[in-house]
Amino acid sequence: MATLHLLSHSPFADSRLSSCLRLLSAGDGLLLSGDAVYALQRGTAQRQALELLPEGIVLFALDEDIVVRGLEDLPEHLHQVDYPAFVELCCRYARTNTWL
Amino acid sequence: MARSMLIISRQSPWAGPSAREALDIVLAGGAFELPLGLLFLDDGVLQLAPMQQAAAVQQKDLTANLQALPLFGIEALYAARRSLDERGLAEASLSLPVEVLGDDALSALINRYDHVITL
Repeated sequence: MATLHLLSHSPFADSRLSSCLRLLSAGDGLLLSGDAVYALQRGTAQRQALELLPEGIVLFALDEDIVVRGLEDLPEHLHQVDYPAFVELCCRYARTNTWL
Repeated sequence: MARSMLIISRQSPWAGPSAREALDIVLAGGAFELPLGLLFLDDGVLQLAPMQQAAAVQQKDLTANLQALPLFGIEALYAARRSLDERGLAEASLSLPVEVLGDDALSALINRYDHVITL
């Protein structure tokens, strides 16, 4: 069963995002919150990597973290979620993996 | 002769108190008329990103405080070109007028100051 990966650290400061992307398997979800949503900034290598996610991987991000950072022009396949949906997702996947 | 100080701010505005604390040092130093510089490096350049909306998470807007720096006489403001490029930030879009410096210029900048504080 699938895993929901939770990332909340800046994708520019360390290798969490790149490691996580290598570990994803079909059916997994990736949820960005906090500074991890900076990976959605257009024109970055991180955004490009997210655009190239395989079909079976679902990409989520916390909407208020996107809004406060003024990020625009987001990927089409991105699902923006609020906190209740965040909780619901954690229940829907068989497990969560938080990249602390 | 007052000793000069360079503050290097390298955390995003949302990653905790570091960004605001770096700014507080600069403003306090400015009040004592110390010769100060402020360099935005690594994720620190995200403090200069346009259209941030702090009110959405009930926080105070750091951008407004940053824009007050020239009013306090602090005009030696720098940002690292490599950091901006990595984060997809165009120089023209920044919310504060800063001098954008390449790697070589950054080491020269640090060498111009008596003290350096990195947060």
